[in-house]
Amino acid sequence: MIRRFYVHNFRCLENFELPISGQPSVLLIGKNGAGKTTIGYALEILQKIARGTNRVGDLVRPSDLARGRADVPMRFEIEVDLGPALIGPTIYSYTIAFEFPEGFKELRVLEERLTADGNPIFTRKVAQVSLARTGQAKEANFVIDWHLVALPIIHQQSRDDPLFVFKQWLARMLILQPIPSLISGESKGETLEPDHYLTNLGEWFTGVLAHAPAAYATIDEYLRLLMPDLKDIQNPAVGSDTRNLVFQFSNEQGSVTFPFKALSDGEKCFMICALVLAATRVLGPWVCFWDEPDNYLAPSEVGHFVMALRTAFQSGGQFIATSNNPEAIRRFSEENTLLLHRNSHLEPTVVRRIDELQISGDLGDALVRGDVE
Amino acid sequence: MGANKSRPHVLVLPEDKANLQVANGFHLEVPWNRQRQMQVLREAGGWNQVIELFESVHATEMHRNDNRFMVLLIDLDGRPERLANARARIPENLNQRVFILGAWTEPEALRPELGTYEAIGAAMARSCREGADGIWQHHLLHHNMHEVERLLERVRPILFPPN
Repeated sequence: MIRRFYVHNFRCLENFELPISGQPSVLLIGKNGAGKTTIGYALEILQKIARGTNRVGDLVRPSDLARGRADVPMRFEIEVDLGPALIGPTIYSYTIAFEFPEGFKELRVLEERLTADGNPIFTRKVAQVSLARTGQAKEANFVIDWHLVALPIIHQQSRDDPLFVFKQWLARMLILQPIPSLISGESKGETLEPDHYLTNLGEWFTGVLAHAPAAYATIDEYLRLLMPDLKDIQNPAVGSDTRNLVFQFSNEQGSVTFPFKALSDGEKCFMICALVLAATRVLGPWVCFWDEPDNYLAPSEVGHFVMALRTAFQSGGQFIATSNNPEAIRRFSEENTLLLHRNSHLEPTVVRRIDELQISGDLGDALVRGDVE
Repeated sequence: MGANKSRPHVLVLPEDKANLQVANGFHLEVPWNRQRQMQVLREAGGWNQVIELFESVHATEMHRNDNRFMVLLIDLDGRPERLANARARIPENLNQRVFILGAWTEPEALRPELGTYEAIGAAMARSCREGADGIWQHHLLHHNMHEVERLLERVRPILFPPN
């Protein structure tokens, strides 16, 4: 669970802290341009680092500096509680700051630090990295290209190494903004790291089932609740290194088989939700940021969809959704609904809890009237 | 579809935002594979509106669908006659499928002792699941006990079936 997420000088986020500590699920609401999706992009930068992207230019660009302010560092800080079930440290804190000196074409690392339960694992100032002494290993200092991030490069000693534990958790964080038309269901391998738009859903399905075959039962049961005529999901090989998801439906009239890409956009989202529920249950707990989970869904499905996701993260992990859909808003409460607001494109995003605002009547109606600021 | 209408299901009609959040907290405690048997409707905007909406829309729908149960959440505002008045407006042939619950005053009064609205709803769900009095023993909720007994008999098997 995220205890603290702080971003400074990144797009519309200036001295911005997301107050979600202790909340298993949170809804972010606000007008277009308020910064909801940008929070997902900020989390994605940290996720990319954990997934191995180490070139600063592949993570952030000078145009990401808030209003082009090059004299102020761009900073990302995350503190997470990985739970009591973990052997070893549970509270991890990672900071990375970038700067854009005059004459440079891309940003460079100014500062980087990882701590576990308050103890440093490594610290860095520009090019100088200091590895803390752990176990038998001595403290070490080395120099790194200032255009490279250290976290993906530093070697972990084992799967119990706090560095590995934190990196794996961060890499498996789910940051989702599905575009169903881009999802084919075809796969050429397996992964536990779905991309932002879920274009590798086939690989994710294969990876989840390879790591935890029990996940299939949850996927199957959830989808049958939504599509009672679903008979089977198969992922047959269709070439030497390719698989393709197919869905079989049947009733008393007969049966029919569709490739995944032939499903409707909403049905594809059902499958994504099923995978999130199954994966977090058998492989989690994880954090899931889903940008507008109500997209592509019929009105009658939105509430159930949101509640299923909220429930899945009640006992561990964290679900963060953005939405302005009235039904999605009604499925959250005042203590877990956050309003993001910007006065103009020249001013930063401000975040407030709904219970701190004076709102008359229904929140969804107030949003439609433009009365929530 | 919303709630699965071909199987027994429960619609919850809350009076206001506070009761809606209580219902959400209850819903979060329902096992995920039973959640679609429950649907929390938009808040009606007042206890009288709950009853009017029930009479104008939901009574007809309940006559069409024998699988439908309804829970009406209203605040008594310290007026016990409100419960009797509301109950009197439920058609006799739907009595077995309609339940009226609410705080003696309003849910806000429960918060200092019981926490957030969602936490209150979650505690109600746990009492329902375990078949225990639990939170219903609270002095602001105790008047619901008879209705809760009916609820346990009819609704508990829908949302919290025995393993």
